[in-house]
Amino acid sequence: MKVIIDRRPIWVIVLVRSLRPIFFLALGFIFWYLINIPTPSGLTIQGQRALALFVVCLILWVTDALPLAITSLMAIVMVPLLGVMDKKAAYALFGNEAVFFILGAFILSAAVMHSGLASRIAVLIMDRFGNTPKGLLASIFLLAAVLSFFMSEHAVAAMLFPIVLEIAKGLNLKPGKSNYAKSLFLALAWGCVIGGVATFLGGARVPLAAGMLKEATGITIGFFEYTMVVFPTVVILLFIGYIGLTRFFPQDIQDIHLAKDVFARKIKGLGKMGYTEYAVGILMLITISSWLLFSRMAGIANIAIIAVVALFVLKLVRWKDIEEYVNWGIILMYGGAITLGAAMEKSGAAAWLANTVIGDWANSPVLVIAVFSLLTILLTEGMSNAAVIAILLPVSIGMAGRFNLDPQIITYAIAIPAGLAFCFPMSTPANAIAVSSGYITARDMAKAGIVMMITAWIVFNIMAKVYWPILGIKI
Amino acid sequence: MKNILLILSTSRTSQDAIEYAVNLAKKEKAKLVVLYIIETELTQEIFDKFTDIGFIGDKPSTQLTEAIMKEYRQRGYEEMGKVQIRAMEENVDFDAVTTQGDFVEKSLDVIERYKIDTAVAIKRKRSVFLKYFSKSIVDELVERASCKIEVFEE
Repeated sequence: MKVIIDRRPIWVIVLVRSLRPIFFLALGFIFWYLINIPTPSGLTIQGQRALALFVVCLILWVTDALPLAITSLMAIVMVPLLGVMDKKAAYALFGNEAVFFILGAFILSAAVMHSGLASRIAVLIMDRFGNTPKGLLASIFLLAAVLSFFMSEHAVAAMLFPIVLEIAKGLNLKPGKSNYAKSLFLALAWGCVIGGVATFLGGARVPLAAGMLKEATGITIGFFEYTMVVFPTVVILLFIGYIGLTRFFPQDIQDIHLAKDVFARKIKGLGKMGYTEYAVGILMLITISSWLLFSRMAGIANIAIIAVVALFVLKLVRWKDIEEYVNWGIILMYGGAITLGAAMEKSGAAAWLANTVIGDWANSPVLVIAVFSLLTILLTEGMSNAAVIAILLPVSIGMAGRFNLDPQIITYAIAIPAGLAFCFPMSTPANAIAVSSGYITARDMAKAGIVMMITAWIVFNIMAKVYWPILGIKI
Repeated sequence: MKNILLILSTSRTSQDAIEYAVNLAKKEKAKLVVLYIIETELTQEIFDKFTDIGFIGDKPSTQLTEAIMKEYRQRGYEEMGKVQIRAMEENVDFDAVTTQGDFVEKSLDVIERYKIDTAVAIKRKRSVFLKYFSKSIVDELVERASCKIEVFEE
């Protein structure tokens, strides 16, 4: 057995080893302190306890000291234990429509990936439109975005990454040096990020926000309604993103015929399109059409679950296949976030926090939206976007009441920017995947990403002021 | 016969260091051992991120990790090939080791196994902020290695 001697000074070793226990002890003390201080005026005892729990979850979500799902599970347990809500009501929130929609969307996305349909579409489109360097760049960027309209942006990034990697290798692009390679990998990441906010399907954060809104206020956001609100912003960001990619990384390659060999090899390897791919494609089309047309009437979760049942009735997937493609643990995160959000709202803690902490400086709805969207877009660069929603949405819904602002508007102001993480590998898995290629460095990504993040925030606020009133959403 | 070690890794390669190591081995009439370390921290971090916040399950995450590792291995073979060509041009005796894992531990293993006299390592440029708050792993290698380490800043 090999013995490794730690040669650091003893005080460093002791400090490093005791950091975690000290952190949790300090967290426990903060919780105890917040529970035991005299209840501030305007806040109920339940509200005070909900707020203490919220602060603890916030710290855990921000620091990643525990897995996100475990923090959420803790929230579900603590809400009834602290007497904020009764057990039945707290656990019932886990059965929220949003959680079942997310579950259905996970399974459908898994079926599309498993069938090979998404890879086939990707390769065929790149082959058809990638005839010039700019054409190939645009096709990767738009393909990543459009696929993220219909399935998880993380899944799209994971699926397209090996193809983009083969293209870069096929073109003999130098890792860390070739501008064109940098733009290809950034196109993959940004395409997924921008496309991921276009519908309820790009990530679980929008259904999570819609679920929290419904639990807090009873207001429902439909699939079509959300897409209508966000779609022009997505189109503008895609246009600006493409310009940015070509400006930040000026093209240093003229001929891409070698990439065609990659596509030819891939297409040959895929073979003929089979029954499963056709059937999954048709089922997805019917499901998405149903979400767009009947989500208010039939419910988004019901449509998702019926589509999942149809997958198995038609024998398009086996349960074993689905199990391998779905991250079940993360569903706990969403259930817990909805429970905590509802506890904050129903106990009055959200409104109290909004009025006490934020109320003084916020003197207009436009400013509230600008500040919350800015806070969201900044926080989402450093932490899970679902956690950002779980932290900011309860407070911002509480804030909406102060200005007679439709809580739906504030939900958009959090849910949409929460997906727009452009700057760092840790911001979102799509960025991490791009940097892992070694073709683009974290520094390159940050330089271009900061400009894109500021632009996205400005575009979002302009659209909120100019376009949303056309849809009847007045700020 | 003396042994010179050139340590390359996924994120640490330098043409200057390669030239220096080959010339040093020629001058000392030494054998040149090239170690290529495939760093797994980044892929592990991505895998963890997917498991923690990602939307997808084990299979796509594993496929993704495999794709990244395959790319890193190929890059390693290419780098080794470059060094081998230079060594052959200079008539330097050459041996290659490819491994994956912790940079410092793997380097120390090879230093011990080959009884290395001098090792050449590459240090990445770091911001002043990072330099102040954390030690580079190459500095750690310099401290722990039993042989002399020549450091090249990329």
